[in-house]
Amino acid sequence: MRFTLNIWRQNGPNENGRFISYEAYDVSPRMSFLEMLDGVNQGLVANGEEPVAFEHDCREGICGSCSLVIDGIPHGPDRGITTCQLYMRRFPDGAIITIEPWRAAAFPIVKDLVVDRSALDRVMQAGGYVSVNTGGAVDGNALLIGKDQAETAMDAASCIGCGACVAACKNASAMLFVAAKVSHLALLPQGKPERTGRVTAMIEAMDREGFGSCGNQYECEAVCPKRISVRFIATLNREYRRAGIVESALPNASESPHAESV
Amino acid sequence: MTRLFSHFQSSVGSKVLLALSGLGLVSYVIFHMLGNLQVFEGPHALNRYAALLREMPILLWTARVGLLGIVVLHIVLALQLSLRNHRARPIGYAVRRYRRASVASRTMAASGAVLLLFIIFHLLHLTAGIIDPSASDRLDVEGHRDVYGKIVHAFQNPLIVALYVVGQLGLGLHVNHAVSSSLQTLGLEHAALNRLFKAAGPSVALLVILGNVAIIVAVFVGIVR
Repeated sequence: MRFTLNIWRQNGPNENGRFISYEAYDVSPRMSFLEMLDGVNQGLVANGEEPVAFEHDCREGICGSCSLVIDGIPHGPDRGITTCQLYMRRFPDGAIITIEPWRAAAFPIVKDLVVDRSALDRVMQAGGYVSVNTGGAVDGNALLIGKDQAETAMDAASCIGCGACVAACKNASAMLFVAAKVSHLALLPQGKPERTGRVTAMIEAMDREGFGSCGNQYECEAVCPKRISVRFIATLNREYRRAGIVESALPNASESPHAESV
Repeated sequence: MTRLFSHFQSSVGSKVLLALSGLGLVSYVIFHMLGNLQVFEGPHALNRYAALLREMPILLWTARVGLLGIVVLHIVLALQLSLRNHRARPIGYAVRRYRRASVASRTMAASGAVLLLFIIFHLLHLTAGIIDPSASDRLDVEGHRDVYGKIVHAFQNPLIVALYVVGQLGLGLHVNHAVSSSLQTLGLEHAALNRLFKAAGPSVALLVILGNVAIIVAVFVGIVR
């Protein structure tokens, strides 16, 4: 098979980028999309040209590194998979394929198709954690959790943090990502101690990083490689409302904890 | 209190206020439509209903000022959020394919703008009588203001009919996405009720359009005279 690729090339974060057209020859239909790009890069290196920078790691759909918008859809035309799990047999021979990076103010371009997704890490640092006691490890399954609850938490926890939800959203909103993380921890007993503060802190961090707001178009769910449901966005909205009610009743930090209540 | 206030300043908090104000306006639109449907009961019923509203000036003006406040809040929040959303993606995609987003959800700003222009026109036309003053404020046989006559006069004009139908389509498109979206923003989600929540937007939009357009068409084709 052969393809014409329109690839976004950009030398650095502050430089202007543009599309450059490349030809991919001798592509096997069994090649993954990334393997096809590897082939193009080998050709470029052989010609003494700069290879196309793109991010990848595990190449088995679980690390969340690969991040290409292929013909206007993050992770390409198939549903429920990452770019590395997309195979060239999915495209007609001779197709013209446009490849772009995730586009969001919160994801500055590092080079070509590589974007800096550390904004998602900072949102996690704001509240996406649980407190664990040091000392001897707790026995497995010492804490009983209902089957349904564990399954729902796992559905949310399957988020690999690739950022396709942000890339697909008209508003570059990270709501599905934050919703998955908040729901996952709010559903489990281990997440209960920080439950109230977590959702407020994570939404504040999300706003601070410059992500947009949710328009309930559900494009995020349609491109999510882990098919995370937008029902978790409703859960996030409920958690946020709950936190607003609970936190507004808490004393301010400046008040003495021993003062008599008025 | 300051903590609660700051809660509403975040993107999610603003959206909750946007959803609540929007749902408030939708309930007014339904109430308005039901009131207007009395045109089918004849001039007596509609004019008496209009007079009844005017007999309670405090209630009427509270409702008017309240509605204006809600509209202003709704628009200010929508503009704030749109600006933020616009900043979130300064460089767009060269190729963009939507998989799920409905036409209504993608045109909320446009349908909202059409709706705002229509509301201003509608207030100047039928409420204030500034556009087309020829039909304003005659009295009917019982001494009530002849609202019925005003409506009949207005919708015999094809240009007015066209403008009102366009306004109704803008309203329908906006409400179609708005109601279901608001329910999601308020966190209403339940496996047994999700179908209902999803159908709420299109159903309310259809109901309001059918009710309002029925009046316009009935006058235009001469069923209501």
